[in-house]
Amino acid sequence: MSVLRELRKLVLGETWVLPLGVAALLAASLILRAVAPDLWEDAGGFLLLGGVVGLLAAVSAGSASRRRNR
Amino acid sequence: MQWILTALGATAAAGLELLEALAIILAVGASRRWRDALLGAGAAVVACLAVAAALGPALLAQASGDPLRVIVGVLLLLFGLEWLRKGVLRLAGRRARSSSAAEYDETRSELEDDPLPPPGRPDWAGRIVAFKGVLLEGIEVVLIVSALGARPGGLAPALVGTTIALVLVVGLGVWARRPLSRVPETELKCGVGVVLTTFGTFFCAEGLGVDWPGGDLALLYVGAVVAAVAAVQVAALARPAARVKA
Repeated sequence: MSVLRELRKLVLGETWVLPLGVAALLAASLILRAVAPDLWEDAGGFLLLGGVVGLLAAVSAGSASRRRNR
Repeated sequence: MQWILTALGATAAAGLELLEALAIILAVGASRRWRDALLGAGAAVVACLAVAAALGPALLAQASGDPLRVIVGVLLLLFGLEWLRKGVLRLAGRRARSSSAAEYDETRSELEDDPLPPPGRPDWAGRIVAFKGVLLEGIEVVLIVSALGARPGGLAPALVGTTIALVLVVGLGVWARRPLSRVPETELKCGVGVVLTTFGTFFCAEGLGVDWPGGDLALLYVGAVVAAVAAVQVAALARPAARVKA
């Protein structure tokens, strides 16, 4: 069981926020692509990049505050 | 551009994981018996090769073109962001730095309580520790290299990078016979996190129909933005700790 737990951590990471955040970014990208295809084609990369760095900032700040509260 | 960055990313990612696997093999070999350490590690390598043989063709059979780019991008984002999250916390002093030397010491002390069987009898404790350690590090290498190599034209640089890492790490292990404590693993892992996150963002967007300005050159500015945000996060999270110390 511990090996399976380690394998899950390898793929999804130590926190659920990250995989859920990536899933939310993917869903938002798909919706935006369907609603505004021209905008998505021209600016979608930058919007996704903004979401990715925002997720990084949020998840690292969240992890840091959880460690401080322990 | 993509070829060089893929090869560099595979070399660094595989090299860092293999350094950790090497530390475990060295710890088992030095504190128990080399034969059992190598048998455990060898069995793990066979298991990893089996996973690689199953995963690569399965990934390519399930998807091609844009859907494959999205799948690869999501996998790389998951790995890259996790490596970056840990790297930011480590560089900000919120988490212990990554160290193969520490892993070596931990593995040695983990095995201290288990008595060594008499000569001629298999040392299952040593074999299992070596197997488990190499399996977990090896599967991470397989997953990252499969993701980097799964896109069209990505397999060759991913395999070249992994081979370079393998040769370097095995050479270092044979030469040094103990883990290297001077390798800046935390900084290197953060760098790998930037590369994987950059590729993940690039492929995901490309697979979803985005036309990146500058084509492959976008990898450079996407990487610069990811690295800059990670650096800002390190500075922001390190500040309160510095105040506390002062």
